[in-house]
Amino acid sequence: MSFITTYCHISADQCSVNGKAVSARDRAASESWFKQIYKEQELVYPKFYKMDSLSQAGFLASELIKRENKGLTGRYKDDEIAMLFANQSSSADTDLRFINSYEHNGAPSPSLFVYTLPNIVLGEIAIVNKWYGENMFAVLPKFAPGFFADYGQILLSTGAKAVLCGWLGVLGDNIEVFVWLVESETNGSLNFNQENVLKLSGFNPA
Amino acid sequence: MENLKEDLKKQIIEQLNLEDITPADIADDALLFDDGGLGLDSIDALELIVLLEKFHGIQVVNPEEGKVAFRSVDTMADYILKRKS
Repeated sequence: MSFITTYCHISADQCSVNGKAVSARDRAASESWFKQIYKEQELVYPKFYKMDSLSQAGFLASELIKRENKGLTGRYKDDEIAMLFANQSSSADTDLRFINSYEHNGAPSPSLFVYTLPNIVLGEIAIVNKWYGENMFAVLPKFAPGFFADYGQILLSTGAKAVLCGWLGVLGDNIEVFVWLVESETNGSLNFNQENVLKLSGFNPA
Repeated sequence: MENLKEDLKKQIIEQLNLEDITPADIADDALLFDDGGLGLDSIDALELIVLLEKFHGIQVVNPEEGKVAFRSVDTMADYILKRKS
């Protein structure tokens, strides 16, 4: 059996962990919403400022899940935590910024260019945590709980003992982030299956 | 010269998104790519090349020149003045 043990949502205006709000967006603030969360949660990782929005979203959610799920990193070997992420818009948010950098700012930005692939977020999380487990980032037509349930079970049956799953919907101000941790050697009340993933996501199944 | 160094520090902070750092935190002779200095990486080096072109109209075409020029704010300022003279 495997269970969903911790989860984090980030919408355009609110960030919550296990359903409990931890940050609310100040629309009047000059800083971006993800930077507001970073500062309010007192996270310390200077490279955060260099990341694109997609990586910032994944970083924030994974850090908040780790904070809530104390001892997570010590419970598993570095190759026993897999990552399974997906979204609908790939790295389009950064792709558009990159295009803008060379069309309007005179020169293409190397630091934007390196984020013009969606799976870079997995590398960022792996680097922070020194997680060397299997990982994949899928670009799907819409949120697909069945994809996560099926692929997650495959990962758990082929060496992983935990899977950090995530839907990272980040495109401009359209923010639909849902990241959850699945563990196979812990007791829990939420079975890892398609129904519970959909229910916890809060997304419209249509 | 001092104005140029101050401008360079502001431009480095802006171009490299070093949000926790102020110009006063960057010593003129601090090694930019050393962990004891700013701890910049290879992508940052590319951003510095873009910075020189964008703000100072200077193209760095010889990698060996870049190695010396990007050692510190002092060396960047020297390099800019040399190229413009």
